[in-house]
Amino acid sequence: MSSSRFVVFQGARNFRLRVILSTLSGRPIKIEKIRSDDMNPGLRDHEVSFLRLIEAVTNGSIIEISYTGTTVIFKPGIITGGTYTHNCAGAKPVGYFVEPMLYLAPFSKKKFSILFRGITASHSDAGIEAIKWGLMPIMEKFGVRECALHTLKRGSPPLGGGEVHLIVDSLIAQPITMHALEIPPISSIRGVAYSTRVSPSMVNRMIDGAKEVLKRVGCEVNITADVWRGENSGKSPGWGLTLVAENKSGWRYFTENIGGAGDIPEDVGREVAYELLEEISKSGVVGRTQLPLAIVYMVIGKEDIGRLRINQDQIDEKFIWLLRDIKKIFDTEVFLKPVDDISSRDLIATIKGVGFTNTSKKIA
Amino acid sequence: MEQSNKEHRKKKEKSTAKKKLHTQGHNAKAFAVAAPGKMARTMQRSSDVNERKLHVPMVDRTPEDDPPPVIVAVVGPPGTGKTTLIKSLVRRMTKTTLTEVNGPITVVSGKRRRLTFIECPADDLNSMVDVSKVADLVLLMIDGNFGFEMETMEFLNLAQHHGMPRVLGVATHLDLFKSQSTLRASKKRLKHRFWTEVYQGAKLFYLSGVINGRYPDREILNLSRFISVMKFRPLKWRNEHPYLLADRILDVTHPELIETQGKQIDRKVAIYGYLHGTSLSSVRGTKVHLAGVGDYSISHIEKLPDPCPTPYFQQKIDDYEREKAKEEGSTSAVPRRRKRLDDKQKLIYAPMSDVGGMLMDKDAVYIDTGNSKTGASGSTTQDKGESEELVSSLQAAQKSIGENYDGVGLQIFSSGQELHVDDSDHDSDENVSDPDVGKIGRSSLRNPRIYGKSIQEEDEEIDNLQSDDEEPDGRSEGRSSHMVEIDFGKDNGDEPILETESEFELSDHDEESWNRNTAAKLNGRSRRPKKWDIGKLIYMDNIDPSDCIKRWKGEDSHDENELSDEDAEGEDFFKKKDEADFKLDKFDSDLEKFKPHFETIKQLITKWSTVDTIKDRFVGTPIARSGDSEAPEGDDSDELYGDFEDLEANDNRDEVHNSSEDDSENDSENDSGNDTDGSFTNFDEEEKKDLTTEQERGLNAAKKESLRLQFEMEEGENFKEDDPENEYDTWYELQKAKIAKQLEINNAELESMTSEQRQKIEGYRAGSYVRIVFDRLPMEFVENFNPKFPVIMGGLLPTELKFGIINARIRRHRWHKKILKTNDPLVLSLGWRRFQTLPIYTTSDSRTRNRMLKYTPEHAYCTASFYGPLCSPNTTFCGIQIVANSDTTGSFRIAATGIVQEIDATVEIVKKLKLVGYPYKIFRNTAFIKDMFSSAMEVARFEGAQIKTVSGIRGEIKRALSKPEGHFRATFEDKILLSDVVILRSWYPVHIKKFYNPVTSLLLENKTEWKGLRLTGQIRAAMGIETPSNPDSAYKKIERSERHFNGLKVPTSIQKDLPFKSQLHQMKPQKKATYMAKRAVVLGGDEKKARTFMQKVFTISHAKDEKRKAKKQDERKQRLKKLAKLEETKLEKEKQRKKDFFSKNGSKRQFQSNDGDSSSKRRK
Repeated sequence: MSSSRFVVFQGARNFRLRVILSTLSGRPIKIEKIRSDDMNPGLRDHEVSFLRLIEAVTNGSIIEISYTGTTVIFKPGIITGGTYTHNCAGAKPVGYFVEPMLYLAPFSKKKFSILFRGITASHSDAGIEAIKWGLMPIMEKFGVRECALHTLKRGSPPLGGGEVHLIVDSLIAQPITMHALEIPPISSIRGVAYSTRVSPSMVNRMIDGAKEVLKRVGCEVNITADVWRGENSGKSPGWGLTLVAENKSGWRYFTENIGGAGDIPEDVGREVAYELLEEISKSGVVGRTQLPLAIVYMVIGKEDIGRLRINQDQIDEKFIWLLRDIKKIFDTEVFLKPVDDISSRDLIATIKGVGFTNTSKKIA
Repeated sequence: MEQSNKEHRKKKEKSTAKKKLHTQGHNAKAFAVAAPGKMARTMQRSSDVNERKLHVPMVDRTPEDDPPPVIVAVVGPPGTGKTTLIKSLVRRMTKTTLTEVNGPITVVSGKRRRLTFIECPADDLNSMVDVSKVADLVLLMIDGNFGFEMETMEFLNLAQHHGMPRVLGVATHLDLFKSQSTLRASKKRLKHRFWTEVYQGAKLFYLSGVINGRYPDREILNLSRFISVMKFRPLKWRNEHPYLLADRILDVTHPELIETQGKQIDRKVAIYGYLHGTSLSSVRGTKVHLAGVGDYSISHIEKLPDPCPTPYFQQKIDDYEREKAKEEGSTSAVPRRRKRLDDKQKLIYAPMSDVGGMLMDKDAVYIDTGNSKTGASGSTTQDKGESEELVSSLQAAQKSIGENYDGVGLQIFSSGQELHVDDSDHDSDENVSDPDVGKIGRSSLRNPRIYGKSIQEEDEEIDNLQSDDEEPDGRSEGRSSHMVEIDFGKDNGDEPILETESEFELSDHDEESWNRNTAAKLNGRSRRPKKWDIGKLIYMDNIDPSDCIKRWKGEDSHDENELSDEDAEGEDFFKKKDEADFKLDKFDSDLEKFKPHFETIKQLITKWSTVDTIKDRFVGTPIARSGDSEAPEGDDSDELYGDFEDLEANDNRDEVHNSSEDDSENDSENDSGNDTDGSFTNFDEEEKKDLTTEQERGLNAAKKESLRLQFEMEEGENFKEDDPENEYDTWYELQKAKIAKQLEINNAELESMTSEQRQKIEGYRAGSYVRIVFDRLPMEFVENFNPKFPVIMGGLLPTELKFGIINARIRRHRWHKKILKTNDPLVLSLGWRRFQTLPIYTTSDSRTRNRMLKYTPEHAYCTASFYGPLCSPNTTFCGIQIVANSDTTGSFRIAATGIVQEIDATVEIVKKLKLVGYPYKIFRNTAFIKDMFSSAMEVARFEGAQIKTVSGIRGEIKRALSKPEGHFRATFEDKILLSDVVILRSWYPVHIKKFYNPVTSLLLENKTEWKGLRLTGQIRAAMGIETPSNPDSAYKKIERSERHFNGLKVPTSIQKDLPFKSQLHQMKPQKKATYMAKRAVVLGGDEKKARTFMQKVFTISHAKDEKRKAKKQDERKQRLKKLAKLEETKLEKEKQRKKDFFSKNGSKRQFQSNDGDSSSKRRK
């Protein structure tokens, strides 16, 4: 009967997602063979730090990590939220920790107010702007109206020293059932180019690079320069660009990148702009980075059928892993079918919510 | 009985409405409003009435086209005629006479309605709890002679706290009233009492005597009509959970297992019944709760053909058949639609009672015919049960003979002997059945035993059976071959089936191809190009996601991909495990990496040298031709394209086309629109920290506006666009419309799926008849099964599988005689479960802490915290102290009612602990306190704690005293008295005992006698232990001695400085001479002599005293001098001693010794 007590996963893949899904569903999970073949087996620092964070925002969670760190048993408790300060360990930026919190925060007992300290930007994880302008609008669409991410300090890699404050004030019973069958046209492209401890000209050069590419699409492009100086700008120099394409009904697509050593700002700007075009071409109602959040919110919705239009290109390995993990934990499947329009390559993902409700919230 | 009627009032003169109109000599209606006040009042009233009708809009998840039968529970104290009522109603609806009412009885009551009758055992509180959770309609039997009895009241209260089903009162035994007037009076009394319990105007039926073992036909007719048109509101709990009332239970354990391992082994049990509530997940291992048994996971679930289909449903099948026949070209006569229920349609299904039907399982075929014959000739049989029994036993005997030379289909029935065996005699059953199996050579694992007589009774009249069994032949054929395939769910609408036919085929083909593929893996052949459905590929766990994508996309370039496909397959099969390991670190497909995969910048640049392909994604750019928007690789969307109908027509796209006509205009529009968009202006302004107030105000306004927009968007989401011209004028209507719309979408979406997909996504719908198999139920459940006690299976939500602490608002029931004690076991009926737990009652001290209460308050709510399976907040529950019948007195058994407020993993509860001490030495504001602590360590823990005397002087604990262990120094705001008592109020944490004991009443042989943990008092009574009592707590007579206080003396020096207000006012010396003083008294004679003599004596004694005093003073002076001298020498000595000591011990410990010295000095 051990199989029914735990949902068993293998490998370090989707680590955060699995823990999050387990917390939402209340089903204990066991993750085995975490980098068991690696020279440095077991959990990484940032993963342990993430588990700490989960422990802090839940009550009654039991986390057992094996001696080698290759097996984790996680028995979720109740999401309690509250005020907490998390020092982001390891090389991972705050985005790595903030992103999973967005899945949990609206369904907690108390409001989330978490201060994250550490690096605020990186090449592979969500940046502050990406969360603020990319993921939070998705949450808004699902009924989480009051959520904010305040940047108190920016901290570029490698030394960091940034500080962001995540506040989620609306505790909802369940996400709204989504019916997004149309892809509204993009009305404008916004962006922010930021820098810490470098010359402001870098920012402007990035903007120039991006605008050069984007001027061809013919819609309004507005990129803000955001230069941080002084003690709020962290310990290392750095610069980056986030571009957001938005439409009237509140859906956003975004790409971001930061400058590395020896990068030319114009190139970074151009690259991000090209990536934005690519991302738009590969996105349905939501972009690829927003898809997991949207899908999970739809899965934990009411026992009604929600629909989301997605692009064929969005069905990649990540998506399949996501759906498989969801199926393992929630026992629910996503039904994909092509849209009515023959000229379109899009699919409609039909999801019946599992009837999740926020049970941890106290009644008045 | 005397009635206190109101005095008769005389009819007033002008009372008719018509006359009123003409009071003033003209028609009032013809002119202005006559009585505006009255009009306002009527309007007010009518709107009040309308408001009262409204309920919070709730989604009704019961399927509309084929709802599950309505569960009608007949409840009442023993002897009120429950069985008679069920028999009468069943006879009325199906023309079947029941001899015995066992378990649920499902009958068809109308074109689209079925009823399931259950009789609630009168004397079992557990069953009453269960029944109150599932009943849609309660027929509450009341003996007209006695009025409301305890059971009735208990049931009503239970029902109320589990969602309150509809309640119909049925008063019986009304023929026992001698006089009409008392009958009338008691009817009225009953009615009004009933109204206070249920609601004003609740319907109460009166049934007079019993004729032919049934209630009068007329009255039953009325009642049945009332029932069959009744409407039901969705109840919250049932609208969120699937549940099932088992109408048939089967032990499907392999008999060999029982034989080899003994009958104590856990059994494999199949439970049958109609699903209610929401749909039950089709995933294996779903956990459900069997009320009275426990939590078990479903090992297998299977949808069976409806044993008791509604005429409406049958007709739909007929229509479908007809369509099919038409397609085939044959014109077979299919019965047309009828206005009334045919006798054939008046079905009854009651496997536990003695009525019959035919059942086909995966395992076997069962024929229950009990009364099918009499059913056909039902009107003629007015006989009593005995003769019927005889007939049926005869039939059975024939059958058993027939069986000997009959075909294979019937052989599983036990032989004739079995018929005579009692239900309880299971051992002999097994002995008989085993050889049977051997004889037939049946290789199957199962030897099912059925509870309820009917299955063991058989009938050979197959024709009869077929007429009973409503299914057309073809269907039953299909069913016998492959039970699972028959899915009535997809027969909902006629057209969709025909339309989706092709899709079925397609999916079938897919399935087939997949099968073939897996087979091919084994065989290593088959090289057919396949078309993969991504929806299926995603969930094939044995295929690697990258492979999934390849296969899905690969079809246009399958020439090169096929080989690799094959290779991949081979690899999959053999090295799947390794591969999984090997790919663990390949993070490109990992959600841990946030950034999606992009091609290299060079590729991107070449790809996006022109942005035409995504032009249509932008507002105001010329639209590209539709061909361009397609991917370079030819896509399969038209092939994959099934027919699905989308309710919301996509016309947004068209809008885009239209809008693209003139882009320049749009552009400018957008620019202005974007500027006003609040979200990004925020962002821009974030960096400018210093804003003027006006800017800030503007910002706030923008924020508010955006919030308002968001709110609107959320409220009117998806529907506002559909309903721009505010069709719904109230919020209520809008909500209703939203719910309806969503349900419509659900139905449309589900209907567009194939049946397997639907099953996967939706699960088993309410209304379907299912067979649920549990692998390991305790044998007691089977051995001690009694069909009289309902078996209920309730689905569990994920939260309800977890255990934790539940905080609930709870109140002792006002009819329960005793208040409840903390940590006394209480049986709670919360959710589906009944369990015993140890609640701790608490109250919140102004929200700062949860303080434990020893007992519940008398009449107020308090909080109860207990350990148990979690349940979502807002769930109501009942608490019962004792459920065993033998332990109950006649009093009301429901001890408490409450509602879940919050669930958590831990809870902080404290109890008040008062520590008492006594001062033994008092300085000005400082006092030494004893008896509060026993060691200095304890004192140290409480240093700085607030203390208080009984008289209210506050203070603080300072420091422990070194000498008497546990004494301490404390300071107060004023000088305290020695007689004061010092109190330290502290909070001591209380831990909740993790005790959870499910009430497993259905496992007992005597189901009404479940005894869990006993109450403390019961244990003490049983063991003869006296209640321990602290002598301190005993009440003693209080003796209070009168205290005398000295008068207040204020020294004159102070008094003279005091302000006038504060001065003590003494009486001034009298100035006037008193009477006595004024009176002149002249001494004379003896009196004068005596006076002078006495004066002389006093003078002498005074002189003597004076002398003595002077002498004493002298002596005292001498003594003081001597003492002073002594002291001096002593000091000298001491000094010397110190000098010596320090010269000897050195300066190392100087400080300490000094300290000690000072303290010793102070103590002096």
